[in-house]
Amino acid sequence: MASILEIIFELINNMLQFFRLGKKSISNSLNIYIKSNTGSTLSIELDPKWDIKNVKEVIAPKLGLPPNEVKIIFAGKELDDSITIEECDLGEQSILHAVQSRSQSKRSRPLSESVANLQLSNISENDDSSSTIEEQLESSEEKGIKNTHFYVYCSQPCKSVRVGKLRVRCANCHSGALTVDSDPSCWDDVLKSNRITAHCEETRCETGPVSFAEFFFKCAEHTSQGEKDEAVPLYLIRPNISHVPCLACTDISDPVLVFSCEERHVTCLDCFRQYCVTRLRERQFVSDDRLGYTLPCPAGCENSLIEECHHFRLLTSEQYQMYQRFGAEEYVLKAGGVLCPQPGCGAGIIIDTDCKRVQCVGGCGVRSH
Amino acid sequence: MQSLKAGHLDASRWERRLQKELMSLMKEPPPGVEVDGDQAEQNLSLWTVHMKGAEGTLYEGESFQLQFKFSPKYPFDSPEVTFIGSNIPVHPHVYSNGHICLSILTDDWSPALSVQSVCLSIVSMLSSCKEKKRPPDNSFYVKTCNKNPKKTKWWYHDDSV
Ligand SMILES: [Zn+2]
Ligand SMILES: [Zn+2]
Ligand SMILES: [Zn+2]
Ligand SMILES: [Zn+2]
Repeated sequence: MASILEIIFELINNMLQFFRLGKKSISNSLNIYIKSNTGSTLSIELDPKWDIKNVKEVIAPKLGLPPNEVKIIFAGKELDDSITIEECDLGEQSILHAVQSRSQSKRSRPLSESVANLQLSNISENDDSSSTIEEQLESSEEKGIKNTHFYVYCSQPCKSVRVGKLRVRCANCHSGALTVDSDPSCWDDVLKSNRITAHCEETRCETGPVSFAEFFFKCAEHTSQGEKDEAVPLYLIRPNISHVPCLACTDISDPVLVFSCEERHVTCLDCFRQYCVTRLRERQFVSDDRLGYTLPCPAGCENSLIEECHHFRLLTSEQYQMYQRFGAEEYVLKAGGVLCPQPGCGAGIIIDTDCKRVQCVGGCGVRSH
Repeated sequence: MQSLKAGHLDASRWERRLQKELMSLMKEPPPGVEVDGDQAEQNLSLWTVHMKGAEGTLYEGESFQLQFKFSPKYPFDSPEVTFIGSNIPVHPHVYSNGHICLSILTDDWSPALSVQSVCLSIVSMLSSCKEKKRPPDNSFYVKTCNKNPKKTKWWYHDDSV
């Protein structure tokens, strides 16, 4: 009996919903996945103008829950009823998490808005800034900065440097149904693990409900291809909010590349490319055991080696190929090998000590004795 | 917003930087320093800077000429700076052929430095001199050195001289 009643109830609900949807004209709809913490996933069309309350009314019946017991989590935050979809920086095929509210956590703005301050160039590794996130946010609003960005290297499908989005998941179970206890306040909070505690809503999470947040980045310029679709953060590229002139050409550009030296030296992206190409041609890159083939701040500052070598993806594809080739050659030479003597081949040869004959591997195939 | 894409590498980027430096050096030259603006404007890669020995120093009343040569790699690469003309200052870091032993001109060069900061360093190098003499290895160096002082592997003399 009960199940029949449930079916009828759901039918009525669906009809009501259909009716409601029919009345609301969806101007440019967004296809979004709703993932519940019980494992089910719904695909729904949302109007960007809807607020979170509307979303709850639409999805609650599908999850068999009353709308007021549903909380919507996106990018580490439980979203407030009054926030509209378009304010959330959701892309096509993004995932929202719907969980039954066990407790009332603090509802807030989406993460991408609240950590806009990470973009400020004065963020230091040990975050000694005394101003709060709110103060910094206000000041960036005063300066008229609406959409500050993160930059990423998107390997698939864009194969290029792109604007990125900051996202968060549970460090233990990798579920996105997680609310962070605090916003990251410096890049270390984002890049290093176990710095921000969070509340994981995933019922199967072993360490939940208390867990750590794990931040990651997505490319903002292609439709999300699921939860494994990530991009490499190019955290040295930052919006030039305080209008710092480029070290080399003295122009004030935006965005800029901020080196990790104590002085936070800044170059524009064009001068960065020129710097790389100049040093590359003279083989003056540093071959670091831990970091790979890289460069320090052009002013020669201490502790300024670029740690994320994907920043060299800013180069043109030919320049990047040269970077890869030189880097590989340097590696072979360091490992005690020699380079293929055929002009222009450059493939590495690591000589086999037992055999006098050497063969160029993966290169031109020339043999020598 | 500046494009993220690597477009054409602006071939005249270094010239624009030099143009800016020239303007500011002509407008607000440091005391005792004067750049030959006409010459530099005709050929941005070769400048002549006139320098007067500062009052109260061993070089008071003397005047010198410095030559700056720039490559398109400027400012990622340091300029080639030498004393030229008939009066080469007699100084423990200046060879009689005009080459200067000053670390910011090679190892310690940084694109954050400029023609102006190089001039100021040379002025202060001269001003702090206590005894006018040539470097101890002058005659050997002058006979054997490369024409380009940047090719010299300098063994930097004590900076306190
Ligand atoms: Zn992409
Ligand atoms: Zn979890
Ligand atoms: Zn620049
Ligand atoms: Zn630096």
